[in-house]
Amino acid sequence: MASALKTYGTLIGFVLVVLFFWIEIPDTFMTAKNWLNISQQVSMLAVVAFTMTIVMVMGDFDLSVGSMASLAGIVAALAFRDGHGVWVGVALALAVGLVGGLLNGALVAYVGILPFVATLGTLTVYSGLAFLVSGGKTIFGRDIPTAFSGFARSGISLTDTVSLPSLTIVAALVLLVVWFTLEQTTFGRRLYAIGGNKEAARLAGIRVRRLRFLAFGLSGLGAATAGLMYASRVASANPTQGSGLMLDAIAAVFLGMTMSEEGEPHVAATLIGVLILGVLGNGLTQMSIDSYVREVLIGSIIVLAVASSSLGKTKG
Amino acid sequence: MDGRRCRPPDRVSDMTLLSINGLDKSFAGARALGGASLEVRAGEVHALMGENGAGKSTLIKVLAGVVKPDAGAIAIDGASVTIGSPADSLRLGLRFIHQELSVVPHLSVAENIFLGRDYPRRWGVMIDWDGLNRRAAAVLAGLGVNHIPPGRKMARLSVGDQMLVKIATAFQDASVEGGAPARLYVMDEPTAALSAEESQRLFAVIRRLRAAGAGIIYVSHRLDEVMELADRLTVLRDGATVATRDIAGLQKLEVIELMIGRRFAEGYPPRLAPVSSEVALNVEGLSTAYLQDVTFEVRKGEILGLAGLEGAGQSEVIRAIVGADGGHDGAVSLAGRPVKIEEPVSAWAKGLAFLPRERRQEGLVSSASIAGNVSLPHLDDLVRFGLVLDRAAEAEQAVDLGRKVKLKSKGPRQKVRELSGGNQQKVVFARAIAGSPDVLLLDEPTRGVDVGARYDIHALLRELTAEGKAVVLASSDLPELVYMADRIIVFRDGKVATTVSTEGLDQAGLAALCFGTPTAPSA
Repeated sequence: MASALKTYGTLIGFVLVVLFFWIEIPDTFMTAKNWLNISQQVSMLAVVAFTMTIVMVMGDFDLSVGSMASLAGIVAALAFRDGHGVWVGVALALAVGLVGGLLNGALVAYVGILPFVATLGTLTVYSGLAFLVSGGKTIFGRDIPTAFSGFARSGISLTDTVSLPSLTIVAALVLLVVWFTLEQTTFGRRLYAIGGNKEAARLAGIRVRRLRFLAFGLSGLGAATAGLMYASRVASANPTQGSGLMLDAIAAVFLGMTMSEEGEPHVAATLIGVLILGVLGNGLTQMSIDSYVREVLIGSIIVLAVASSSLGKTKG
Repeated sequence: MDGRRCRPPDRVSDMTLLSINGLDKSFAGARALGGASLEVRAGEVHALMGENGAGKSTLIKVLAGVVKPDAGAIAIDGASVTIGSPADSLRLGLRFIHQELSVVPHLSVAENIFLGRDYPRRWGVMIDWDGLNRRAAAVLAGLGVNHIPPGRKMARLSVGDQMLVKIATAFQDASVEGGAPARLYVMDEPTAALSAEESQRLFAVIRRLRAAGAGIIYVSHRLDEVMELADRLTVLRDGATVATRDIAGLQKLEVIELMIGRRFAEGYPPRLAPVSSEVALNVEGLSTAYLQDVTFEVRKGEILGLAGLEGAGQSEVIRAIVGADGGHDGAVSLAGRPVKIEEPVSAWAKGLAFLPRERRQEGLVSSASIAGNVSLPHLDDLVRFGLVLDRAAEAEQAVDLGRKVKLKSKGPRQKVRELSGGNQQKVVFARAIAGSPDVLLLDEPTRGVDVGARYDIHALLRELTAEGKAVVLASSDLPELVYMADRIIVFRDGKVATTVSTEGLDQAGLAALCFGTPTAPSA
């Protein structure tokens, strides 16, 4: 019983949340249209959470993802304003994400700063840079090419009324890539070994420093991707728009970790974590419940999920 | 040996301090104890022996009040008692000293001894540090320990001295409110991390405790130590007590037979093939912060032993060769080719396999499976399409090598943390031989391993050397070195003190060389 609660508690909680909204909002909640809507709403959080999973597999954190997402959006928007095309802006933003992520990796792996401290520092740096290069203003309107902002509104039509949003497809692709990387490649296996026992991994011939360096690069890349998705969705970029992502992403990974026997993050479990947060947001909004209540609820659910899994552990 | 001579002959009384009768305990259907009995007298050191999984830890946990037995009786001074919690255990005068130390490294010795107790005060508010240190010194002196300054930070002590402080703490618990004075000490592998010298110091303390009338239950895999220290021993096998014997007149081989229930013609497997003349590994002028100018060579099919007191350099040599602690001065060559190794990853790539000293901290990823642990240094050989891990090949590798090292498991995907210590060590061995290395560098390969697994590991070393592999074996287990190695390098203070052939060498001779005793026989 205790072990079932430990492994499936979070999943059961997710089902209960879904059932609750299904009963409370019978007309609109359990419809294909609403679920596709949820998938689009969570797509940016999902991308950040998936790539955050990569660093958390090693037992590390990346606190800078939110401000990196903002910075990447700003960089793309500035490129657009200077008359560059969509692909140039996107490539520049992704490059900034990769370099910023690798800088985190260098600080953590080669300089030896704790990830918490290193990325707390770069969180502030990237956020400051976003304000600096944008002059603190939102970039919008005709500066943003319609090809870019149209992407978030596009999708693949499924029926006359519903379509699969492009942002959802991006998130699904990132999920697939991260899943493949973590679960099917030797790179992923090495990351899990580092998370399990860094010293043993190093002595068994794993290049711990290089892998940590690279993994943070991927996290930065994911953050930049999410920043671009956000900018496309709201057809503008402002230096604070990614700030909510970091805490939610870490929360989603933690929720996922409660579903693993070893307490290891797995990206499929992170997806459940993301969906829990997304469904709560969507359902509570439809019920016109204050967004502050959502925060209280989400916080409580995280504590509850982690508590139930650690209680299971001490008993088992 | 000296202890027994020094002790007044009537010291071991017939007064039974603790008696355990017919203890049964099952975990989820698996029987851990079934008919375990033990009787400890006041003023005796009673060794508790048995292979891993024989039930020693469960029995100790019952005494500690951590595990509740299904059946059986425990009596202290002839009166039946129930130990329902660790607090009960403390109240009854039982004290536990484990091999894993729980000390606060950044506090002083005195603070560790009096942790959780009221410190002496000055003017009601300020801590009277001098008073605290004086009290701690008195407690230590009570155990005959005078060389540890009570004001020193715990972290700066050797592991052995930390163990002594730990015992002092257990001793001090006597003054806990409502607690009975300590009467029975349970020591679980206390010397696992100690050097021979530190062990001797610990034994002196144990002998004092015994002389003061305490009972000591002593658990150790080191037979020689038990023969030296204990008065009687009780052997557990498969959860049941098979025998209780006086140590006097008992042969080591008898003890091993009692523990494993089968006869060994010899405690060590015989050499299978002669040593080749080809040099496999050559080390010249190896120097680091710890080591000075270490030079030696190992030939194919040879086992080279590294001996010395704890921290004399034997472990450091191995770590330096594989680049575990960064760079070093000096030259290393493999089969005559010079190699540069600054990280463990290049050691593995060049055909050097490394088995680290601390199985749990440095050897295993305990959350991963057997197959996942075995494959770790060899993942590049298990790749399809450039980056996909070939899981089937990985599992197959683990099964093949598991058979070779005589691993007992439920399958290649079983988590290693579910395995016993001996089987965990076999997983580390399987990893070491997976890439078919030319040289194996082994740091304490049989530490904390039960007798059966130890024999399996020794037999494996014979097989590997017969295949032409060279083995460097650092060990604090002197009989292992004497019987397994072809030559032994003795280290002292980071330098090679001497190199001896094991031909005609006995344990006492090797011990004398380690201590640098002038009466050492020339070998």
